[in-house]
Formats: sequence, structure tokens, C-alpha cells
Amino acid sequence: MSLGERSKRQSFLGQESDAVLAATTVAVIGVSGGGSPLAQQLAHIGYGTVHLIDPDIAEEHHRHRLIGVSTTAIRRAWSKVDVLRKLMFRVHPLGRVIPHRARWQDVRHVLPACDLVFTCVDGYLARDEIERYLRRYQVPMIDIGMDVARVDGGYSIRGQVILSLPGSHCMRCFGFIRDELLAEEASRYGDAGDAPQVVWPNGTLASTAVGIATAMILPWHSGQTINPYMVYDGNRFELKPSPRLPHLRGHPCTHYEDSVIPGDLFLPRKN
Amino acid sequence: VRTVFKIIDSLLQQIHFDLSRPHPVAAERVGFLTCGIAQVAEETLVLLSSRWHPVIDEDYVDDPTAGATIGPVAFRRILQYGYNTPVSIFHVHRHEHSGRPAFSATDMRSAEEYVPGFFNVRSSHPHGAIVLSQDQATGHVWVPGHRIRQSIERFQVVGPRLRSWP
Repeated sequence: MSLGERSKRQSFLGQESDAVLAATTVAVIGVSGGGSPLAQQLAHIGYGTVHLIDPDIAEEHHRHRLIGVSTTAIRRAWSKVDVLRKLMFRVHPLGRVIPHRARWQDVRHVLPACDLVFTCVDGYLARDEIERYLRRYQVPMIDIGMDVARVDGGYSIRGQVILSLPGSHCMRCFGFIRDELLAEEASRYGDAGDAPQVVWPNGTLASTAVGIATAMILPWHSGQTINPYMVYDGNRFELKPSPRLPHLRGHPCTHYEDSVIPGDLFLPRKN
Repeated sequence: VRTVFKIIDSLLQQIHFDLSRPHPVAAERVGFLTCGIAQVAEETLVLLSSRWHPVIDEDYVDDPTAGATIGPVAFRRILQYGYNTPVSIFHVHRHEHSGRPAFSATDMRSAEEYVPGFFNVRSSHPHGAIVLSQDQATGHVWVPGHRIRQSIERFQVVGPRLRSWP
């Protein structure tokens, strides 16, 4: 099977698209509800190297949302990253999938080498920490997430897709990360129970994130515009640009100052 | 050592804008780009561009034998910055064509003269020179502990469109 043959129906991405994708390295932090459909799609498109980062194992309560899960995976307590690695290998055997059953902090050294990092994690604090780290190495980040909140008349499903691009607006600019939210996180998150999740909003958000990444690497239209903050209303089944975006025009990011020198202070000394 | 040079798209646009300004006596403009550093794998060095330092009009020398000649004050300014701030320093100029640029013999001779000065003020960091074209770049880097210059293997532009050269 040649990569060219497999990509015939996505040839509008360009004659060099197979080579560009094969040379692209990305990471997915969190491969459960949001990260699993996202990783699956990366394999279908043909991304070359994918780091999968998640410390957890597959359990029964993941069955309703973890793409690729099976009875065997649950019975044998496979790690989530192994569930996805096996799934991705079946789809794209030429791809390189590197599973890390670990917290992202413990394998952070792989992130600066990535062209782009997807974050599919719970909570604001984790997002804030990852964004800070990636900005330091000028690595773009695409974040997805969903939440279910109790409202009058039932529940509200909502979510977001955010592109945090170094040199441009960050999650604090978008108002998505705020100090008071970080402080209140524990009490705010999961009004409907234990971090409620369902598979269909995650699929929508993951597909949008993969589309944004692919548009950045292989734009298929000269006038392509990427809205860096998309909000999802799962009760109306709508995904649209955040109303905050027009107000940010002409106001550069002030949270990551130009004066801060990126990277590390010094290179490790060789013995 | 494999070297990757990262630059934010808006910073690259700022550099092109600055280098496009006509000068009263020089045929072209030059400047300095300062960078942070990271080692992302055993043998991969990433240079993370952070600030553009244009050479001010008064610091050019009227020299009809070269596209741009800058005087000692211009070098003193960037050396002072490098002394105060832990950064890599890259001399930058542009060749007026599209496609992959190349260093001329004069470019290389000059670089061999000024790059050691960068190490005098910041010996822990790699330094070098970059030539831009209208749409690409090429560069050389001198890495501490390695006596010979190396080519920058890959330029990566970080923006709404992720691009890399070559």
C-alpha cells in the first residue's frame, strides 16, 4: 500500500501533502473523550509522528466515549495511549505513534520538538500550565473541551476549540482562562456529576481541531481564515466564532510579553 | 548538531518591512535578530527568535563597494545587548529575489569577522548569520564547543500558516 494511493481522495491538500504530513510531528495530551477521536483522525489523514500522552488505563466507565476501547482493553487494563496506538496503527501503519503513559509534565521534553500540540484535558489549571510551557518554546496549541452544566429546564452542553498561536492571542486574551476561574475550578467543573462527557460533542470538537491543524499545515484555499476561538453550543448543535473575537482586533496579547526570552537559559553541559 | 530556527510570522513580517525601507546612502539594510535557545533532543538545537534590532540610519557607513556597511557603533549596540541579556545573536540581511538564498563570498568573509565578537560577550550561546530572500531564508550557526560553522537545517515560521524551509 502506497501513501499516495491512500491519499487520492484528499489530494486537494496539495501534491506534496503526503510528504508534508509525514514530516509533521504533533502531540495529543489527554486521549480520552476528546483526544481519542482526534488521534484517530490524525491517523486517517496520515500525520507522520504522533505523541500520545495520558497516564490512565481504559476502564468500564470510558466505554461510552473512548474511541477504540474494547472489552479486551478494559479486562486487561490497557493504557489509553496503547488503545489508541493499536487503533492508529491499524489505520496508518506507516505512521509513527509514540505512546507515553505518563502525565504531560513527566514527558514535557517531547513537546518543544512538536510542530503543534493538541490539548484535550480537564480543567483550566492544566490548560494554563500547558499553554505557558508551549509559549516558551513557540509551539502552537489547539485546545478542545466540553462541559455539561445544570441549567433551568435540564442541562447545557457547551464546549470550545481554541487555537493559541505564539505571537497572537492566548487563552487569557479570549477570557477562557481567568484567575477567578482557576481559583473556583474545583467547585465549578462538573455540575452534572463526575466530569460529564458524551461522545458526540467530543467528535465535533475533535474534527474541528484536526481541520484547523490541517489548514495551518496544508491550506487548501488562499483566503482561508481560522477563527482562533470557536464556541460550541451542544443544545443548539452550533459551533461558531466567539463573539469576543471582533473586540480583540488591534489589541495584541499582553500576557506573554515580547521582553521574555523564549526557551531555556542555557544548554545542558556535555560530560 | 541539527539546528532548527523558529520565527514567529509577525516578527518575520516586521523584519521584512524594516529591511524594505530605503536608506540615504546604503543600498540595502541589515539588522540583528536575537534568540532564545532550547535543546529538544540529544542532537537538536532550536533557536527561538524573539527580538529584531534594526541598525539605525546613522550607524551605516557610506561605502559604495558594498550593499551595506555598518560602523562599529552598530556592533557595539548589539554586543551591549548580548552582554546584558542571555541571547543568541544573528546578523540578518536580505537578497532581493524569491526562492532559497545563498551567502555570497563577501557575506561569509564578513560573518567570519563579526561572529567571534558575539562569542566575546556571550560564549554560552550559539551565534550566526542569516540571509533572507523575499520568501525563504538560509543561515549558518556557530555552536559553542564546535569550532566550525554549520548550516541551519530547517527554518520554521510559526503563524496561522505553519511553513518550513527548505
